[in-house]
Amino acid sequence: MTTQLTAGRPAPRTSSAWKLPHGRKLAVVGTAAAVLAAAWPWAAGQFVLHLAILSCINIVIVNGLSLIDRSGQLSFGHSAPVALGAYGSVLFSSMFGLGTITAAALSLLVGAVVAGLLGWVILRLRGVYFVLVTFAFAELVRLVLLDAVSITGGANGIAGIPPLSIGGFAFDSRERFYALALVLAIASVGFMVWLFDRPLGRAMTAVAANPALAESTGLSVLRMQIVAYIGGSVLASLGGVLTARYIGFISPESFATGASVAFITMLVIGGRKSLYGPMVGALVLTPLPEFFRGAVQTQHIFYGAALILILRFLPGGIAGIVAMAAARRAKP
Amino acid sequence: MDWNLLIGQATVNGLIVGLLYLLMAVGFTLVFGVMRMVNFAHGEFYMLGAFAAYFFTTKLALPFLAAVALSFVAAIVVGSLLEWFILKPFRKDELNGMIVTIGLALILQNVALMAFGPDPVSLPSIASGATTILGVTVANSRVYVVGFAVLVLLLLYAFLRHSRAGRGLRAVVEDSETAAIQGVRARLYYPLGFGIGVGLAAIGGALMAPLFSVSPFMGQTPLLKAFMVVILGGLGSIPGAALAGLCLGLLESYSTLFLSTSTADMLIFLLVMVGMLAFPRGLIGRGEA
Repeated sequence: MTTQLTAGRPAPRTSSAWKLPHGRKLAVVGTAAAVLAAAWPWAAGQFVLHLAILSCINIVIVNGLSLIDRSGQLSFGHSAPVALGAYGSVLFSSMFGLGTITAAALSLLVGAVVAGLLGWVILRLRGVYFVLVTFAFAELVRLVLLDAVSITGGANGIAGIPPLSIGGFAFDSRERFYALALVLAIASVGFMVWLFDRPLGRAMTAVAANPALAESTGLSVLRMQIVAYIGGSVLASLGGVLTARYIGFISPESFATGASVAFITMLVIGGRKSLYGPMVGALVLTPLPEFFRGAVQTQHIFYGAALILILRFLPGGIAGIVAMAAARRAKP
Repeated sequence: MDWNLLIGQATVNGLIVGLLYLLMAVGFTLVFGVMRMVNFAHGEFYMLGAFAAYFFTTKLALPFLAAVALSFVAAIVVGSLLEWFILKPFRKDELNGMIVTIGLALILQNVALMAFGPDPVSLPSIASGATTILGVTVANSRVYVVGFAVLVLLLLYAFLRHSRAGRGLRAVVEDSETAAIQGVRARLYYPLGFGIGVGLAAIGGALMAPLFSVSPFMGQTPLLKAFMVVILGGLGSIPGAALAGLCLGLLESYSTLFLSTSTADMLIFLLVMVGMLAFPRGLIGRGEA
């Protein structure tokens, strides 16, 4: 009884929650554990706090990548919108004297416009062609950032970026910034869950599953993918804004191919099919380098092996394990 | 400055770089043609080929040509084994196959980094002196490299055109199902195609090793160029890759006469993106869209 309801189409929430004492107990325990885990970094010191902030930023960025992926296109240049958000927010405030929040909002707007225009052109390409063109675009962005020394500081990057501040309240300590990053990370996950429970999100899924069929039922594949691309890029830009404001330093090398590879790794290892996959991937992979301290090569070899093994044996990623376990529980 | 001389020199440099791109791109496009797999580990095989040549010439004191040939054979063996044991489940699975090769590239690059260290090494020059051809002076080592590269391409052409295995490979590239119906054993040609593809990258690396320094990171740029070449030449088209490789090498070389390197790079990227959108099947060749 329990199981059929949870496994099938979502029933009206209030009633099912009341009818399912066991599921509700699980939900309460799970929520409590998640709240404790989210609050733990505040008590655990600066180092954990640092990792927690980076994880939250990556959750936002990888959710953006997942949004694009869910509309049927894999971007191999996801570092580009991150870089645009980071540089945009810093340059708008330093060049035009805007407040940090105004500059951040403006850079997200610019990110959306750029993604819209670019997407309108490049989303006509499919499969590996789209992958290669996003890759080329990200390289182009990096080269432009490197070349425009007078504006971006070239390879030296921009240092001493002031922290975000809202009406005199500056997010200048790790404790404060973590609160902000945590809220945004939860909001981004919530946004994904909300979106893909709505007609728009379902339309995106349909477009990804069978473009020809979706087109013939009146969904515009291009329009859906542009919407997803804009949304994903804005999330990435938001991640870029946070990165710049938290680290206080940006350079074109922070947004090289390696970053795009890292985002794809997080998405795949976390699980491309699950809405929680990006979160799981970011949470698992962001702190991972700390376990390989001083052995960056070992870490990358581990990444590579994990990518291959996960794709081979666990196409659903880590989040897929949870889904599989839930499905097993669901069987009578 | 004498413009004729400058342009002549740029042509020679462009041809050398173009041949390198050609070797990379032909192998890359061959792998894509056979397996529909964008091989992100291609640049790592270029790097491994260079290191193999370095190892064979300096540690085993073999002659350069033998070292290049051995690197090629080693790359074919390693490539075929990797295909058989790792890539087999991902044949014709474009996106997942691509991500798997990203993983493979991460592993190969970092294994090389652990084995050889991050510092670049260099090979002794294979020849001294210089030759003057039509008023353009070229170092002999470069003349040899060009000669070897052309020889490799001629051998590849003869292999693909006239040998039984080469014809089978082309049949699989064309249409693997029909090829299988006609009795071509496609399952043997996947490892072979991948092996030869990455073998060409290894030859490129081995040939360029005496001209440039050898380091675990050296594969990145040639990989990027191979992408651009195959996009221009049409993915999966071997003649397209050959022509586009030479054109890109020459274009880069000429553009550095008039523009700064970074501006030239950006313009070429722009050209590739526009070209891809306008001609998804390739500007020069006719790939599969």
